[in-house]
Amino acid sequence: MFSNVIELYRCRALIMSLVLKEVKLRYLGSFLGFLWTFLNPLLLMGVYTIVFSIFFRIKVENYPVFLFSALIPWICFSHSILEGANSIIKGGNLITRVLFPAQVLPTVTVFSNMINFVFSLPILFIFLLLFKIQIGIALIALPIVMIIQAVFTMGLVLMVSALNVHFRDIQHILGNLIMMWFFTTPIVYPSTSIPVRLKFITYINPMATLIKAYRDILFYRQFPNWMLLGGILCLGFLVFFLGNLVFNRYKESFPEEV
Amino acid sequence: MVAIKLENISKIFFRQPLKRKYTTLRETLLNFSWLKNRQKVRYIAAVKDISLSIERGENIGIIGMNGSGKSTLLKLLAGIYKPTSGKVYIKGRIASLIGLGVGFHPGFTGRENIFINGIILGLSKKEIKRRFDDIVKFAELEDYIDEPVRTYSDGMFVRLGFSIATNVDPDILLIDEILAVGDEYFGHKCAEKITEFRRLGKTMVIVSHQLEAIEKWCDKAVWLNDGMIKEIGIPSKVIDFYRKAIAEKEGKIPLEIRSSEPLRDYGV
Repeated sequence: MFSNVIELYRCRALIMSLVLKEVKLRYLGSFLGFLWTFLNPLLLMGVYTIVFSIFFRIKVENYPVFLFSALIPWICFSHSILEGANSIIKGGNLITRVLFPAQVLPTVTVFSNMINFVFSLPILFIFLLLFKIQIGIALIALPIVMIIQAVFTMGLVLMVSALNVHFRDIQHILGNLIMMWFFTTPIVYPSTSIPVRLKFITYINPMATLIKAYRDILFYRQFPNWMLLGGILCLGFLVFFLGNLVFNRYKESFPEEV
Repeated sequence: MVAIKLENISKIFFRQPLKRKYTTLRETLLNFSWLKNRQKVRYIAAVKDISLSIERGENIGIIGMNGSGKSTLLKLLAGIYKPTSGKVYIKGRIASLIGLGVGFHPGFTGRENIFINGIILGLSKKEIKRRFDDIVKFAELEDYIDEPVRTYSDGMFVRLGFSIATNVDPDILLIDEILAVGDEYFGHKCAEKITEFRRLGKTMVIVSHQLEAIEKWCDKAVWLNDGMIKEIGIPSKVIDFYRKAIAEKEGKIPLEIRSSEPLRDYGV
């Protein structure tokens, strides 16, 4: 496990330049360019707000902000997983033609999505302003929650990226799985809408705890539940450890299989 | 001093006995092939038990027919593949001209791509900055360096890739059939660069079908056949053997079959 981490630290310059490339690349050549960082989640928010706030009549005050505070971390998570699963196959010509540490590829996906997350925060703050919700002191907890999410995501992405090289069904399974995960996590609805006997779903879902933490900080202006977050961090390390195991198991075969 | 040492290295590619190239999760689970022993797995030995020692400053040319394991051997030297058995010892910084322009993105400018590619090849940002002008000058892209690479011609693209790769300042240079790129003029420039590397005492391993080039640049030639070293020694001699073998192989094809093909169908 540590060999991977050390290797990643060693090639931080490489990761940085590739992350930068990835972030720039995402909006390269489009007319509105960088604005899409803001427009994409905004449009999604618009759709969900119409469907769930107006059609389904979910009773939450300031629904757009309520939604948005959970939607942007989720987008970061789901994009990391889906792009990450494909990252090694996509970077195939790097691994097959130059000596290139493969673990850099999934790492770059996670980092570039984290950066997009940070870039979309300003719109959230504008919305908070528009809806006259004050920004609380709890905001200082935000980076910590993000780091926990990054560790957890990183572990998952290492795992799926390595497995996807050998079992290419993974990427198709993942698309559906992520969709299911999205709707079983209280993002578009408050956790209070889940019937009590099904409440356990949110307890076994680490993303539910993370999303709730974001919402506590950004929307309810209160500190998140540190106990639960600590648990998620431990789980995150476990997943990260497992991810490394799986990755190392398959790493050497990548140049032959991609 | 030895720069590269190969000890009984073999590379075996395992191929699943399935029609499709990629196994699916379902197949793996249902076939229980992960429980059964691996007897059914078909394998291809691309490199078989090769031992080779290359001195520092020596230039080695590798020749052989398609599928004889030349590129696999080069990838083993570059560290891209891990040998199935045996050991590879390398002393010094390796640069491979296997993938020219790897990681180039067509949408980025030449300048941006130099930085990305340079970092991929193991240079630091500072080193790239220092060599930037040399790279651009050698590639002769001064006027186009801030244009996106997608607007480049194939020749310009390869020139830039070659220029970056050779500016990495390696101790060992691995070259895979790149002497044939670009126009005559750039070919001469590449040749000059390689001569310069020779003068500087760098170790080079060149894989090429251009036998004249091997004869001209290499101190030693290795003829690979079916993953094994068939002949090793003075380039002119090895090439001679190799040419004879090809002539023999061609001779085996019955003449009447060749002449019975109506030539005009091939646009002759």
